Amino acid sequence: MADSPEEIKKAVKKFQIVGAALFVGTVITVLVATVPALDFGGHGLDGVDITIGLIIATIKASLVMLIFMHLNHEKPLIYLFYGMAIVMAFFCMALIGWSKSDPIQYGNEKSADGFYNADKPATSVH
Amino acid sequence: MEIPFVVNARKDTGLFNSKVAIWLFLASEVTLFGGLFSGYLFLRLYADYPWPERTLPVLPGLINTAILIASSMTVVFAWAALKMRNWRSFQINMAITLLCAAAFMVLKSIEYKAKFAHQAVRLESADHPVLDFAILEGHLHKAEIGEDGKLHHAQKDDKGNYSDEAFYANKIIFEADEFVFPLSRHAYGGFVDTIIEQAQSQVVPVTGALKSFFDSVEKNKSKLGKKELKQFEAAQKKGSILSSNLKNLLEEIKESKISEVSDELMALSEYPITLAEDFKLYEIDEDGKRKELEKKNIPAGESLSKSVIAYAEKYFLKAKSEDAQLRTHYLKSAFAKRREAGDDRDGWQIAQSPEFLELQAENAKQIKKRSYSAPGTITFKAEKPLTLHLDPGYVITKDAKQLTLRDDTTIKGTMGDSSMFLAVDGIDFRFTAQRAEEKGIAPEAAITKSWVLKQPELKKIWDSHQEWLRAHTEMLDAKSDKKGLKGEDRYVPTDNEKYRVNWDQIVAYQNYDHKGIYDRAKATINNEASEKCLEKPGWIAGFAGPNHKKMSFPEVTIPRENIGFESTFTPKWNTYYAIYFTITGLHGLHVIGGMIVLGYYLFFGRKMYESNPEWLANRVEVGGLFWHFVDLVWIFLFPILYLM
Repeated sequence: MADSPEEIKKAVKKFQIVGAALFVGTVITVLVATVPALDFGGHGLDGVDITIGLIIATIKASLVMLIFMHLNHEKPLIYLFYGMAIVMAFFCMALIGWSKSDPIQYGNEKSADGFYNADKPATSVH
Repeated sequence: MEIPFVVNARKDTGLFNSKVAIWLFLASEVTLFGGLFSGYLFLRLYADYPWPERTLPVLPGLINTAILIASSMTVVFAWAALKMRNWRSFQINMAITLLCAAAFMVLKSIEYKAKFAHQAVRLESADHPVLDFAILEGHLHKAEIGEDGKLHHAQKDDKGNYSDEAFYANKIIFEADEFVFPLSRHAYGGFVDTIIEQAQSQVVPVTGALKSFFDSVEKNKSKLGKKELKQFEAAQKKGSILSSNLKNLLEEIKESKISEVSDELMALSEYPITLAEDFKLYEIDEDGKRKELEKKNIPAGESLSKSVIAYAEKYFLKAKSEDAQLRTHYLKSAFAKRREAGDDRDGWQIAQSPEFLELQAENAKQIKKRSYSAPGTITFKAEKPLTLHLDPGYVITKDAKQLTLRDDTTIKGTMGDSSMFLAVDGIDFRFTAQRAEEKGIAPEAAITKSWVLKQPELKKIWDSHQEWLRAHTEMLDAKSDKKGLKGEDRYVPTDNEKYRVNWDQIVAYQNYDHKGIYDRAKATINNEASEKCLEKPGWIAGFAGPNHKKMSFPEVTIPRENIGFESTFTPKWNTYYAIYFTITGLHGLHVIGGMIVLGYYLFFGRKMYESNPEWLANRVEVGGLFWHFVDLVWIFLFPILYLM
């Protein structure tokens, strides 16, 4: 942790650069999503655009975490807390993968791709 | 009590205690928002309707992102200022942070307000029962019921206000004669209040006896109070008055001794709803004869109120519960009798044995003799037919003679004109196309049959859109050719472009003859800007969506039978708006929470700064960590909700 006035002054400069980078990142995200000439991948919103948008967001988020929240030099205990939280958050997202193996919605006959067959639900659901 | 290690680090963790605490809290926040983002992902991946892509106006979101980034910077500057013992700089930076937070919330509320005022309708039609599913978006108009019983556009008066009789034209209008309230589950209950309230705001025409009475009062009207005078003049001008206003006015005329008011005139202002017949509770006596529990009866003619219904409900539920207790009692005694008779089989065997069933039959007679008997409903009648305008969300089933409300209340009478007046700022056939494809029908064939295209004004817009789409498709083809793209890689119009006409396109299409649009678009194709050929309103003109005050949109009257589902853009409309309001609402609460904490440091931190500046610096660091987290969530929310 920067503590002496000189170090703090240096840190402030770093914060300004990071802030500027965040603004630039935001503008790029919007341009990529709205200007036809910057529409990567196929025409209109597709996987490529979503990936680009999420990559920029992740870079921005990393900058905030590393510099503003000083995670670039933090004590191990905090890495442990934060790491566990991120694992939990991704675990939540991974849960969606199991939704396809819901026999009520999807029946219990597996199809070729290993998922339960959505065309033959065991019961009709609304 | 002194909290240890708020300034200096603990040796084992290397951290001051509040920092450990805030990181534990932030970890829990990561999982909370992680769960909500997972919810978003799940709803989007498995949506069974066309997901609203890039549907929110970008500019407010963009500004809000910039605001949060700026505030994240100023909060670290504020912390750095404290570290360098510069109170003034801390004050300035923290104040900017708070202003940013306030600006964020103001923009958010503008966005929310636009959503709450924006109406959507999913259509259905009798000749196209499985497939209409076209969606119209727009703003509702206010309406009044005319003398012919039909809805008319409500007009504003000289001061630009609508009269008390006007209402938003998405209501179910019903002439009610009779109300049957269920007694067993009064889950919503509010409908009694709604009905009573509406009975007090019936439109009374100022004709016949009332007209001549009003004319006789005319010369003495200066004696009326200010409010009553206004009501009187409005009624004279408009030729009608709301029953509650009439009642108030007549009472005032009587009190200020301007004129005598006959009972007949007074009756014009009242729409009584009374109990149709005596509500009786019975007891069945020893001989099996019905006996009225007279003390507990409610006589016919009792006015409708929540307490009358609550009273009837109380005794009905009591009767039901006593009947249930009786049945249990007799069941137990029959079982005991079998045990006394030395039957030692398992319970279920006894229960199925002929001896037990015999005892049961005997007991059933006893139960019948002794049980209460209470009707499960209570019926009120309107002494004069009552015009109700009900929120469509209240009504579960409707036909020409009867409505069923959400709490099982039944209303009998006659259906009125329940059309919807909508100024259309969005036509969306994506759902129609999706449904058609599911059923193996060509989307275009399904769209042609939609109710929407039978409306000349909307048809014209759709035709214009086809012209633009033709030019746009050619532009994409030319672009594909230029890049030498083949097969699936070639550029094709998106579903949004093909099947949806957005508000800015509607504004633009109205400016041109639709036949000219293709040529216009074609002329600009070479610079790959077919979107730009239309002179659509830009981001600033449509800051939070279509502005109905400044732009004109085609109006349609949608008959009730063509309305499948309708809602404003709230969580009720679809899962996109449900998750949008959940996540952004929770994020907004975090912004407010952060404002309170950071505001406390700014306004009440001076004393601590003077006694222990390092402690305050640590506090600001911890508050700042929370604030960065709030920014972090928004960094993901903005692209996901606004741009994807």
